Order: sequence, then structure tokens, then C-alpha cells
Amino acid sequence: MAGSSAPETFPTPTILPLGDSGLLVRFGTDLSDAANRAAIALAAVLDRQPVPGVLEIVPNLVSVLLRYDPLVSAPAEIAGEVRLRLFGLGDAASTARRWTIPTRFDGPDIDEVGTVLGMNRAAFVAAHNVHPLRVLATGFAPGFVYCGLHAGALVLPRRTTVRPSVPAGSILFAAGQTAIAATEMPTGWHVIGHTSFANFDPAGTPPTRLAAGDVVAFEVLS
Amino acid sequence: MSAVLSIVRAGPLTSIQDDGRFGMLRHGISASGPMDRGGFAQAGALAGGGHGGIEFTMAGLEIRLASGRCRVGFAGGGFSVRHNGAALDWPGSVALAEGDVLAITPGPWGNYGYLRFDADVGVAPVMGSVATSSRARLGGLDGRVLRAGDSIELVGSGTSGGAGDAEPRPAAEGPIRVIWGLHADLFAPTLRQRFLAASFNVSSRLDRMGVRLDDAAGVFADAASLSLVSDAIVPGDIQILGEGTPIVLMRDHQPTGGYPRIATVISADLDRFAQLRPGSPVAFVPVTVEHAQALLRSRRT
Repeated sequence: MAGSSAPETFPTPTILPLGDSGLLVRFGTDLSDAANRAAIALAAVLDRQPVPGVLEIVPNLVSVLLRYDPLVSAPAEIAGEVRLRLFGLGDAASTARRWTIPTRFDGPDIDEVGTVLGMNRAAFVAAHNVHPLRVLATGFAPGFVYCGLHAGALVLPRRTTVRPSVPAGSILFAAGQTAIAATEMPTGWHVIGHTSFANFDPAGTPPTRLAAGDVVAFEVLS
Repeated sequence: MSAVLSIVRAGPLTSIQDDGRFGMLRHGISASGPMDRGGFAQAGALAGGGHGGIEFTMAGLEIRLASGRCRVGFAGGGFSVRHNGAALDWPGSVALAEGDVLAITPGPWGNYGYLRFDADVGVAPVMGSVATSSRARLGGLDGRVLRAGDSIELVGSGTSGGAGDAEPRPAAEGPIRVIWGLHADLFAPTLRQRFLAASFNVSSRLDRMGVRLDDAAGVFADAASLSLVSDAIVPGDIQILGEGTPIVLMRDHQPTGGYPRIATVISADLDRFAQLRPGSPVAFVPVTVEHAQALLRSRRT
């Protein structure tokens, strides 16, 4: 799932204003593997070949946010520079790092998840870990990473109720993705396990370890 | 130069801020920074330019200079201020000596005021900034709001800031200007028209993360609940929650979110919006990106 040597065909993006100080380069309105790969690849190119006047580049699930100073730069010029970089957009997998996430699959929702998917716990854990996952994006909270995408058999909506608090290190599962919570937070995702892997250190440079495009393998601890 | 100030009385949501912790969105951290950037800059210019400052809310603030001396500038919304019991003009500045008390009480308008100094606020920067994030619980003093009994050291000669206009700012009025948002095309044209025609009210549920609006006309009461891929949020985004509540996302916003966003408050109007008290009527009018940026340029000159 993570990484391919074949030339990539990426969706054609839409470039939209996000307020008066941001542009969003959006590769789709639904989460797809191709749109996510494209967002990661564009962010990598923009990191390597910065566009003058752009203050911040943020890869999201299916888009890249470019924040700029409107007193310095015109959005049309930035969009033009982005379009130049969209030609020959390569797969960013070559720069991806690989991580092992030691995980106890003993979360409060794991058996219910297995039941809904028609598997016992061992079968679900095996299916969950059959492929390494790609870090799709960081968002929502400090160091919170979305990883995926799982195959169709592992797609499950979120819970209908929100847990008011789950601890840092919680392994979350919903919508064909596995997320790792790096801080204590409320969540509507299914809690399937926890890890000692700490993705957020406010004193660190950078403050998070996992980046979009990285490859994560969950190591089962018993 | 060095001084120590003590917080004698603080309302809720009093926090240390600077311009913001920019560049950390890819780590899942929004920038924070002052709710009223213009007020923060004005207080800094009045004080003589130390880095960082204290943001306080409608409830006011009282500080005592425990040691040393400093100049303090104050601006933001309309507040009343007394220096050792003697009323001063607001906005303004005053020199504080050891033992002096500065007491700020609610005034005629606004939610947020600022104290800044001719020295830097001496707390350790986190990821390059002293701004407190109420969402991520980091920055400022141990990532939390200030409360009575806290001590804050003022250090340095305060040459790191100083940008900003010390003159009182003209009170802007009229509708809040917006740029159509990321998901505007998901709202039917009739709904977009009703959004512009309606008058909303600032609700009492407001904080540094967002300001909920009362939608008395029920503009969004029947809006379909959409399931959207989570995408980037910027300050000023107006998102519509699942049950139809509009909420304007502010400086401590989530870095990403999945609720539909109909519009974004322009940068030139976000300070003014932040200062609207609960109950204030709010109407929105759309402008182009070019117009919003021209307004920012004209403010600079």
C-alpha cells in the first residue's frame, strides 16, 4: 500500500481561496488513495522548491494549504507557481520513513468492532496489520495522525456517541483508517488499542515524529 | 531591566499571548495569538514594544508590580483603568513602580483587552512562541490561563516588538465581511441568500476557539448534515455544526475539521468580530479576496 515505483497519475486539483491569506490546492472532495498521495507529493515538492511569499505549507488528507502574507504576495502569482510544480509531480514515497508502532490491541471497542466486521479479535488484528499503513495526514490535534487506507472489508463508521476523553497513545479506528492520538482528547472513533509511541513532544524539533507519507507498521504486543 | 508582576484578580480566559505560533499546522497545532490583533499591537506600541502580553476578557484584570519598574500599555476593547486608584484614559500607558496597582474593570464595549510592557514577558517559548493555546494547552504559563496569585517576570529591554499604531483605531461598523468558504457550493443558492439576509446574534458560548451564533431565523435549521473529508481550517471560518448551529472559528481553532464551512470572515474584520459581545447582532456581506486584501493594505498606509 505504501510506496510504488510506477509513475503516478494524480487527480487534477482545484485551487481555492481559503480566506484572504490562504490557498487550498484540493485534489478531491472524498478521501481517496490517489488524492492523498497527490497532496503529500505536492507538499514535498513545495518544501523542496519553495514558492516565494508562502509562509506555511500544510499537507491535509486530500489537499495542501498554502498560507501567505497578502501584503506581500498575490494569490494569482502563488497559484501560478503551484501549477508549475504540479507538472511532473512525483511520488513522495522515496522520502518516506518507516516506523514501528508497538501496540496492545486491547481497546474497549475492539471486540465490538470485530463483531460488526464478522471477525474474532485475533482475525481483526491480523486483518488490521496485513499491510503497513501510510500516514495520510496530521490534523485535528497536536500529533494526531490519520493512517490508512484499509481495504473495504475494514471500513466502519464512527461511533454514534463521543467518548469525552481517551488517553494519549490511544489507537483509534473508523472510516477505513487507523488514527493515533498523541494527546488526551474526546473522540467518536472506536478505541482498539494503545501504544507507548509518543508522537508529540512540545520541546522537540520538530515537535512531532510522524509525517504525512511515512509508513507505519503496528507491532502486536500481547 | 527586570520586574515581576503579580496577578491580583483575573477573569476566566486571561492568557499570555504573542503574535502567534505560526508554522505548526502540519504538526496539528493552530497559531493562537491575540483575538484582537490590532488591539494587541496598539498596546505594544503604547508600552514601547516588549514581546508578548496579557490578554484579558470582559471581566477585567488587576495586577500589582511586585518588584522593579516598567511601562505598561493598555488597549483593546473599551475598558476602565485605574492606577493606584486614579482613573486613566483608555487606551493609554503608564509607568509602574514597585507596589503600584493597575486595576481594569469592564467598560462600554468589547470582549478582549491587552496589557503589554516595555520588557518581554519572561516565560519560556514553546515551539518559538509564548502564546497560550487553550486548545492544545501549551505556551504561556504552563499552558493554562492566568489566575490570581500568578507571578510573571518581565525581562529584557523590550526592543523586540513595537510594530503597531498607537493611535486609537476608528470604530468600524456595519456588516462583517466574508469570503465564500471552502464548502459554499454545498449550500443551495437560496440558503446562501438567507445567510446574507439574516441577522444572527453572538451567543454567550464564545471562547478563544470559536464563537457560536444564535440563528433566531433558523437559517441553518434544516441544513442537511454532511459527511465531509476533514480539511484545513483558517481563523474566521464559519462552520455549520450538524444540528445547524453556525460557529465562527477563532485563534485557537482546530487545525482541521469536517463540518461544512460556508464562508470565512476577512482578516480586516476578524478583530472587530472578536470584540462583539454576546447578544450583539451580526450580519454578513460577501466580498472578493482582492477587496479583502485591499482593505488590509489600506489599513497599513
